[in-house]
Amino acid sequence: MTDAAQLAGLVRAAQRGDGLAMAELLDALAPAVGRWCGPIALQDADDAAQEAMIAILRGLRGLRDPAALFGWARAIAVREAVRVARRAAREQPAELGDLPAPGDPMLAADIQDVLSRLVPEHRAVLMLRDLEGLDERTAAALLGVPAGTVKSRLARARASFRKGWQA
Amino acid sequence: MTWPVADLDAIRRLRVLAAAAPGAFVAETVIDAPFEQVWAVAADLEHELPAYLPDVRSFTITRRDGERLEARARGYAGLRAGFDIVLRPGWCVMRSRFLLGGLAAVPDGQQTRFAFLGGVRIPAQRAAAPALGLFGRWAGPRVLTRFANRVRQRGPG
Repeated sequence: MTDAAQLAGLVRAAQRGDGLAMAELLDALAPAVGRWCGPIALQDADDAAQEAMIAILRGLRGLRDPAALFGWARAIAVREAVRVARRAAREQPAELGDLPAPGDPMLAADIQDVLSRLVPEHRAVLMLRDLEGLDERTAAALLGVPAGTVKSRLARARASFRKGWQA
Repeated sequence: MTWPVADLDAIRRLRVLAAAAPGAFVAETVIDAPFEQVWAVAADLEHELPAYLPDVRSFTITRRDGERLEARARGYAGLRAGFDIVLRPGWCVMRSRFLLGGLAAVPDGQQTRFAFLGGVRIPAQRAAAPALGLFGRWAGPRVLTRFANRVRQRGPG
């Protein structure tokens, strides 16, 4: 049996409420969910990954084609990570003094600091574009935000990354 | 360039399973013993499950293949059930036709965070969810107390 066939079997079993199949899907999806949620939710990424996995497993009955599992799960994970990040930002608004100043050499070396200067939706687009390899329009559509409005911020974020990598 | 990555540790995974599997509940505690000592009890399903799960009279492993096991359980009320199990350090999920069980442990310094999942699969599951939730809130802490007692009794051995 191929990996794809095994995965499809797990999805079907989990859709019928099989807890062991759900646990095995958790194993299969957890690394990707961690990769998707990390850059968006930052310090709240573990909470975001947990909530994303709950939403994915609870929503599994709505997945008609098991072959689409990872793309479908990615959309859910990104949505949940943005939601958790926005909620955390409301609960703990950053003090301006806590944010690194532009040009700070410490900032240039730390991708997390660079990401923290973007709003969660833009972090999501950046992750989908630069880590997942989606084009800007697809990434923005997945998030439900206009591609044009994020383009300039993405360019600035990428410039910060390049600066950080070269520092 | 290293992107930040979220970590879904075993406790969080068990929370996910409890939230997603109909009829399941999870209870958590911190046990004042190192991970190895705690997991020695958790992984010894044959001897320890009957010691901390009041309804289980015997639990016999019938097959082992890496981290996959099969077992046959007998209860005091005459219940007999075959279980499919995934068992590895820090993580155990057990499923029979009508029951779901899980154990998770994560080291926390010299202590260990530990979680227990219980659940039933019955036809009117959604209607029974509130009652199952109440049962979980009652039963979960009791199972955790019995489990922690077993860890203490068994010692670092």
